[in-house]
Amino acid sequence: MAHHNQQSQALLDVSGLKIHFFTGAGVVQAIDGVEFGLESGETLGLVGESGSGKTISSLALLKLVPRPGKILGGHIRFENDDLIDKSEAEMIRIRGKRIAMIFQNPAFSLNPIYTIGQQLGEIMMWHEKINRGEANDRVTEMLNLVGITDPASRLKQFPHELSGGMKQRVCIARALLCKPLLVLADEPTTNLDVTIQAQILELLSDLKTRFNMAMILVTHDLGVVANMADRITVMYAGRICETATAERIFNNPQHPYTRALLSTIPRVDKSYTNIQSKRLTVVPGRIPNLIHPPTGCRFHPRCVEANGECSRTQPELKTVEEGHVVSCLKR
Amino acid sequence: MGILRFIIRRLIFMVFLILGVTIMIFFMINAIGDPIDILMAERPGITQEVIDNIKSYYHLDRSLTEQYTLWLWNVVQLDFGTSIIYNQPVGSMLVNWGWETVKIQVPSILISLLLAILFASIASTRQYTKTDFGVMGTALLGRSMPGFFTGILLILIFSYWLGIFPSYGAYSTRSPLMGSLLLDSLWHMTLPVMMLAYFNTATLTLLIRSSMVDVLRQDFIIAARASGLPNRRVVYGHALKNAIIPALTYLAILFGLMLGTAPVTETVFTWPGLGFLYITAIQQLDYPVIMGITLIITLMLVLANLFTDIAYVFIDPRIRLE
Repeated sequence: MAHHNQQSQALLDVSGLKIHFFTGAGVVQAIDGVEFGLESGETLGLVGESGSGKTISSLALLKLVPRPGKILGGHIRFENDDLIDKSEAEMIRIRGKRIAMIFQNPAFSLNPIYTIGQQLGEIMMWHEKINRGEANDRVTEMLNLVGITDPASRLKQFPHELSGGMKQRVCIARALLCKPLLVLADEPTTNLDVTIQAQILELLSDLKTRFNMAMILVTHDLGVVANMADRITVMYAGRICETATAERIFNNPQHPYTRALLSTIPRVDKSYTNIQSKRLTVVPGRIPNLIHPPTGCRFHPRCVEANGECSRTQPELKTVEEGHVVSCLKR
Repeated sequence: MGILRFIIRRLIFMVFLILGVTIMIFFMINAIGDPIDILMAERPGITQEVIDNIKSYYHLDRSLTEQYTLWLWNVVQLDFGTSIIYNQPVGSMLVNWGWETVKIQVPSILISLLLAILFASIASTRQYTKTDFGVMGTALLGRSMPGFFTGILLILIFSYWLGIFPSYGAYSTRSPLMGSLLLDSLWHMTLPVMMLAYFNTATLTLLIRSSMVDVLRQDFIIAARASGLPNRRVVYGHALKNAIIPALTYLAILFGLMLGTAPVTETVFTWPGLGFLYITAIQQLDYPVIMGITLIITLMLVLANLFTDIAYVFIDPRIRLE
């Protein structure tokens, strides 16, 4: 892979990932040859619209693609093992232990009928083979680390007794219990108040440094990744558009989709006076139906630069500069 | 504690409910006719004087209000009166015949719950597969078939064709099976329990399966899997406990309405239980028996509801009794 040429250091290297959903209406080609990767301690922002396949891609890393989805091909190399070859019995030793996940909606991602102590303790006991007392101590310690006040008494509380921000802190604590090497954060702040969002992002950033974890931050919010991510991968309709350092994505985007996305967010450092319409732009059209995806480049129906060639040939990922890959026939 | 106040309030409510139900039934029985008239209609040689004597013996010559008050006063002292047809104290009849009903109803409900949990877990984790459709199809059939039809089918197959289970009664009239009363009793119980269990299992399976399917889609289940918990712990520890909550209400109804389904089962298998007794008592307007059984049905239903409400508090921490 061009985007991280020191193969030995790569913690995760996903290549050729292909996931289809076999629905009654037809085969949804949700993920079609996706590749991305990251090194230890790095943060990768996985950006795209709803339906672009970013959540499915992250669930695929845990081999938890929901039915009727199926991983049809590709490789998920993690610490030099290919997770695709791992059995379910091996995967349950990796999930939560070496790769953990934080979910989008903290209100629904804790079991309502178990206390915080019960559900976090259970995970601890399962992975670390320790007893309830030790597990409680470790859970308390972790709750304290994620900024929960009076953690010992929280153990006895049920999720419905906590606020939204508090729940997400508990979810973060759950993900970090076994100090995983990689954390998948799927829109961790989308369902939170704006003020809480900032706190949670700061917390994630602190903990990442503290435990030297790598993180994949899945989001549709470019503002979130701008502050957090070292590198950014932009996805569209189940394929990769572009991967580069965060700085290059914002300052020198190459893919027309990335450019279109960036033009939709208001920026204080840009003047809008010399733009013709004086309004924020929108990306025209809508995300395609992936049962019958567009031929060639999947973005061509919405692309301002597209020509006939784009509807016939599927673009390959090519390196435009060291660490910057783009899949566009025009680059 | 709010829970105690809640229970007391419900018990007070129960007293009024029982009064209402028994008053309604009492007056309705009397509107239909007089048990002595029915009894005497078959004996043309009897004099009016004898009839009047019998009526006054059973206090049937008093006003309805007086009769009801008398019945109620006796019930408060745990005296349920004397059956007009069987000439036995209703209290001990309720216990003896009730035991036969409990004997087939309780095992069938417990078996149904266990089987339903098993089938629902199997089906819901294999949603839209052949296994799932097989389980759902069988359950739908069991749910849709009238109970008496299932019973007759069981008798046809296991008694008439295979000849391995008795088709009626709770005990052998001559010698018990292999000389053991327990074995003989279990042997007779098999078909009625199967008939009840098929319907109950079917209903509970459909109920638990659909709530399992809902729960298994929830984020906290995916989160539990993503935490590395093995499938068995996720399905039985996390999903099932949530999915069983809606089924609790139905389970309570099954217990509470035991006597509601009993008449059909016990008629099909000529089973000497309260359901069978209820039917014969109604046919002959044996009002002390009708009243006794009605009282028990009401009581069981109300208590079952109360227990469910309390059980909810212990199972689902989000529920509070106001």
